[in-house]
Amino acid sequence: MINSVINYFDLFEMPRTFQVDAAELESRYKQLQAAWHPDRFTGADDSKRLQALQKTSLVNDAYVTLKSPLKRAAHLLALQGVDAEEHNQAHFGADFLHRQMILREQLEALGEQEDMAGLDAMKAEVSSATNAALVEFESLYGQGQFSEAKQRYNRLQFLYKLLDEIDAVEENLLDY
Amino acid sequence: MALLSISEPGQSKPPAHAVRKRAVGIDLGTTNSLVAVANEGHAHTLCDHAGHCLVPSVVHFAQDGAVIVGDAARNRGTNDAANTISSVKRLMGRGIADIDYDLPYEIVPDPRGGMPLVRTIAGDKSPVEISAQILRELVSRAETELGGPIDGAVITVPAYFDEAQRQATKDAARLAGINVLRLLGEPTAAAVAYGLDRKKEETVIIYDLGGGTFDVSLMRLEQGVFKVLATGGDAALGGDDIDRLVGQWILEQAGIEEPLSYSRRNALAAVARDAKHTLTEAGNAEITFEHWSGTLGRQEFDGIVDAIIDRTIKACRRVLRDARMTVGEISDVVMVGGSTRTPRVRERVAEFFGSPVHTEIDPDKVVAIGAALQADVLAGNKYGDEILLLDVIPLSLGIETMGGLMEKIIPRNTTIPVARAQQFTTYKDGQTAMSLHVMQGERELVADCRSLARFELKGIPPMVAGAAVIEVMFQVDADGLMEVQAKELSTGISSSVVIKPSYGLAEKDIERMITDSFAAAASDKAARALQESRVEAQRIIEALESALAADGRQLLDESEYAALTDGMEKLARLIDSDDADAIHAAAEALNEASLVFAGRRMDSQIKTALTGHKIQEYD
Repeated sequence: MINSVINYFDLFEMPRTFQVDAAELESRYKQLQAAWHPDRFTGADDSKRLQALQKTSLVNDAYVTLKSPLKRAAHLLALQGVDAEEHNQAHFGADFLHRQMILREQLEALGEQEDMAGLDAMKAEVSSATNAALVEFESLYGQGQFSEAKQRYNRLQFLYKLLDEIDAVEENLLDY
Repeated sequence: MALLSISEPGQSKPPAHAVRKRAVGIDLGTTNSLVAVANEGHAHTLCDHAGHCLVPSVVHFAQDGAVIVGDAARNRGTNDAANTISSVKRLMGRGIADIDYDLPYEIVPDPRGGMPLVRTIAGDKSPVEISAQILRELVSRAETELGGPIDGAVITVPAYFDEAQRQATKDAARLAGINVLRLLGEPTAAAVAYGLDRKKEETVIIYDLGGGTFDVSLMRLEQGVFKVLATGGDAALGGDDIDRLVGQWILEQAGIEEPLSYSRRNALAAVARDAKHTLTEAGNAEITFEHWSGTLGRQEFDGIVDAIIDRTIKACRRVLRDARMTVGEISDVVMVGGSTRTPRVRERVAEFFGSPVHTEIDPDKVVAIGAALQADVLAGNKYGDEILLLDVIPLSLGIETMGGLMEKIIPRNTTIPVARAQQFTTYKDGQTAMSLHVMQGERELVADCRSLARFELKGIPPMVAGAAVIEVMFQVDADGLMEVQAKELSTGISSSVVIKPSYGLAEKDIERMITDSFAAAASDKAARALQESRVEAQRIIEALESALAADGRQLLDESEYAALTDGMEKLARLIDSDDADAIHAAAEALNEASLVFAGRRMDSQIKTALTGHKIQEYD
């Protein structure tokens, strides 16, 4: 990437770690919004107002990034100069991809059978795999093994997407 | 006016404080609009001399070029529906293809694209121009009340309003000469009106069932920060549907076959609406329509309403799900919109959320009141416990990619302001231009989303395919309005372009409209003069009537008394004419003729005062 990465942890004056104190994140966010929101500058000149707009846009983006474990992981990798989005199939490991394929077929079947209990069980399974990958990411990143950490991140992308898909199937069945 | 000055001594208002900014809140509604003003943390809506606070969102274009807004315009609708524009809010930021329902007036496509135009006797009018007329009426009401030009306004928009609709609203405000402090979500305004922002931690549902629209919003309030977490609803569901279902029930009972003529349908809707209003308090409503009479009981009515409520509850479920929350986590439910007066609605909503609902503030006024409170803060009149209102975009913003797919760049419910960039590349060797299509919507296919703008980025240096890097930056401000900027990054020579969506008006359109409005100012002025002379005439008649009733017989002889009542009748007949000069002349003449009477009343009151009697003894 050509753009230099803005360090959101610095912006929020929080330590650059995978674990983030949710209460502290909320309170920093509110402080920054309170200081910079364009509503605070309704009477100010154009350049002040533009600055407020840009600053709050950045704060909002930072907040969303730091709040989501997946986005936070990508941001941590980016801060190490690792492009988290660049990957190839071999990188995931054959077992992982095979397992993903089976899970997707299973999801499709559960949807067709309208098996809510089966969906719940699958959701629990995928959630626990997600949590395990998050723990691994944190540990690998902490040890400076960024290439390995990136692989866990890419797996997490799969897992989060699958969780969304389970939700979508569930939603369809509930006929919302 | 001589008579008034006797009957109401010393009631002139003290002048407004010089440093205080005149800021108002405006609820620009589909059916009705309101303007409110706040002072010291209390807000009230501004009403006309007859005590009407709701201004019907109706604009009438008269043959003589006059533009009439509000109650008077709505009354014209019965005879001249084609030139009487109602529900213009539904046209704002919409294309002609979106208008798939019948309107009592004609719309035509705008040759330049964008919103359709309304064909009136005064020419083709854009929805923005028509909305500006409503805004002018509200502003003039506020200026009369506040004693001078207003400095700024907070205007509310539905939470689901997309970028094009918000832009159209802001353009209308600009056309009406209003300095917009903020476009504020209607649910946010309602929550502010109830002071929920001052509570520590709240999760609130705003349930807004109006005449023709239903909106539900889930908001999170935490220590001064207000955030809309999810919104939903139905843009074609409201009190009018209840009227329609009651109307159908009447037709079934009466054995009347559809279709009905336009005027019979209107009469049926009015009868149905009356029955609905009666059932707000009473257990039964007696109904007469044409040859048929009957009774609609509460239970049967509740059954009819349930069909509508079921659909609203479904939308509530969806919003809870979007926000990943449960009913148990909701701490307050605020009712907005006239249709929430229906007891069954309150009952079912309270039942669904398992908690009582807020109905303490008039559900028609609550949005305008909240807007006024926020306007007071933003204008800088109120310091200290300021609240910060954070909004979200209701629909995802994205760009068309190869194969007619929509690539989302900012997902819906993202807190604004927000800026996101996405990078694209060229797909052909030597490609020097790239066409970008900006979309809003949730669907995968471009064809199912709303097109906001198309623009072309030119001057990309010729390179092999995939070498050029085009960064497209979306910037959405606190009002939900967007700007898109595109840059070519790889060469360092950045070619950039800033666009505003095509549904909003181009700068030169706004300029043209402002020029036009100056040209139209003469006829507007005539219309205003007519309206003012009517109001003045009405005031004279009312004052004279009450004075005559009080002591006319004691103070005037038979012929003097008759002269005044004749003059009154003559003026009353003229009020309905369109001749401002004649009304004004007759009003002046009557005022002149009443001077003798006024003098005698003065004398009589002085005598009374001197002899220690009270005026009431002569009544």
